[in-house]
Amino acid sequence: MLDLHEIQATVLRQRPAPYFGTHVLLRVDDARAGRKFLSRLTPHVDSAAGWWKAANAWLAVGITYSGLEALGVPQDALQSFPEAFRVGMAARARQLGDDGVNDPKNWEPAFGKGEIHIGVSVFSDSEEKRQRALAIARQQYEGFSGVQVLAMQDFGAQPGDRNSLGYKDGIDQPPVEGSGIEPLPGQGRPIKAGEFILGYPGEAGVPLPMPQPDILGRNGTYVGFRKYQSRVGAFNRFLHENASSEQERELLAAKLVGRWRSGAPLTLAPDVDNPALGADPQRNNDFNYANDPRGRQVPLGSHIRRMNPRDTQLTRLSDINLHRLIRRGTTYGPPYAANQLSKEDDDVARGAIFLFISAKAMATMEFLQREWVNDGDFIGANGERDPIIGRQEAGATFTVPKEPVRRRVHGIETFNVLRGGEYFFMPSISALNWLANSGT
Amino acid sequence: MDTQTKTSPSPKRDQALQKIQQLRDMFADAPELGKTALENVLRELTSDASETPPPPVESAGRVGSRLGKVSELTIIVPLAPGGARRLRAFLRLLHGNLKRGGDLVGTLHDMRFVFLDNDTKLLFATSYDGDWDAYIDDFATKIPDYLDIIDSAWDGWPGIRSPGAKDYLAKHQITADGWYVAHPDLTVAEIHRLKRIGKAVDELLEKVG
Repeated sequence: MLDLHEIQATVLRQRPAPYFGTHVLLRVDDARAGRKFLSRLTPHVDSAAGWWKAANAWLAVGITYSGLEALGVPQDALQSFPEAFRVGMAARARQLGDDGVNDPKNWEPAFGKGEIHIGVSVFSDSEEKRQRALAIARQQYEGFSGVQVLAMQDFGAQPGDRNSLGYKDGIDQPPVEGSGIEPLPGQGRPIKAGEFILGYPGEAGVPLPMPQPDILGRNGTYVGFRKYQSRVGAFNRFLHENASSEQERELLAAKLVGRWRSGAPLTLAPDVDNPALGADPQRNNDFNYANDPRGRQVPLGSHIRRMNPRDTQLTRLSDINLHRLIRRGTTYGPPYAANQLSKEDDDVARGAIFLFISAKAMATMEFLQREWVNDGDFIGANGERDPIIGRQEAGATFTVPKEPVRRRVHGIETFNVLRGGEYFFMPSISALNWLANSGT
Repeated sequence: MDTQTKTSPSPKRDQALQKIQQLRDMFADAPELGKTALENVLRELTSDASETPPPPVESAGRVGSRLGKVSELTIIVPLAPGGARRLRAFLRLLHGNLKRGGDLVGTLHDMRFVFLDNDTKLLFATSYDGDWDAYIDDFATKIPDYLDIIDSAWDGWPGIRSPGAKDYLAKHQITADGWYVAHPDLTVAEIHRLKRIGKAVDELLEKVG
């Protein structure tokens, strides 16, 4: 059984639909003030007890490595964190394939400099509750000279619960063993909790290494925070250049992702969209690729098939249950529209901030970025990258398998550009109290 | 401006000349046939200077060298008492051919097991696609028994499921100083694909011709 009272709610609780929220990124200039802030904030951080019923807004809190340093966490505890976390996401750009337009030197100024110390996220199902929860968070840091807000980003579902490229997203999540409710149809067998929460056995039967002392690490996890900006104009131009009617454009858009924009999976709705299917959580993820080994329905290189290959025969010995992330996608900025075709539409501040949650988030993100996002060898599509989140080279292509011969679509660009990112440790409730009371 | 005839040497060229001079100094006390051979090869290399030299090897991650998509791994490990005997018997059961395990992994171009120093050490060498440690966790859940049969012959091996497994491997791995790959751009998966295409084209030509 999991200590649900200890684990932060956000690890298990999905964002509501519709959703409203805010990310607040803070810097701690004075260790004592930072710890005081944590001790005041912690009573308002929701645990995962009863995570499946969320009546009110909830807060999540994460701390970066430089944040732990700024809070005055003892040296031996600091050294017990894994190296990729200690050096931070920007310093791991090579391992993450964050180069070219995604290079940390092109990031928004707040990110990648070791200045973001604490992240607080508010999630809720109404704007009014968001305001209330944000006010509670604000009361804990306002008036403290030693804690500064570096950046704030409101987020919220677009009309129809769509993301910045017009898709319903966040459908497929890995089921966590022992979390208390049955997986949805098609979610697969529950994955050992230790893959997602520190202190429990993982898929290999042993717990992953955990920060010390025990109270600091246990029931905590890591969060990869990544802010993407969607180049909506480029995406729409690509669809227009490669498809001649709205119907064809929607089919091409579906082939890139593996789902229609409604969320209906191509496996279950191969030729025409089925919005009722897309909206039904009991059905919209209930499929595998047994009858589609070559990707004639869902291209092997499509976004959802890359991120969860399910029963796809891969070219490399892989255990897909080791490479899953819980993700909390949070869309920001104005909604998508299919007629936004200009270069100016590329520069509008809109996109998604993802929280990628796992007990080994750093290693998993490096694996995914290198093997499944920015390469195609694992599916026998050498050189092709994920059409949605890949960092594309000039001349990039996307292969749509079909009879009698495959179609190779040209003009794929980097449609989602990375604008910043950080690794956070998401401590348990007890660890938050420990952090608030320890330090030098 | 004609840069071809410019005589002022570039820093790169300076460096190369310096390396050649160091090499000559080191060969000063080499056997005569070594010295002659060196001069012959240097002449050949300088006459090829107009061609672009091949790219230098890169790092394969934590340890090892890489060319293009193909990396090398060489480890020499001390064997546990009785380890050589057990491992050799296992390899004999497979008639020395590791095809089954190798095919399963999908990224291995080759591997070899060589017993050294009166069966007290093992040399394991392989060429493989990609990064050093990307799939080691997958081995631990997919083929742990194969690995632990082999690795339990190794002195001090913590077990493939142990968080210390990667450190053990890195500690015993020796990076190659020289490395050659005929097709650095071809992964095992890509070779399979090209073979399929080649076969299909042949079949098509049979029908047409």
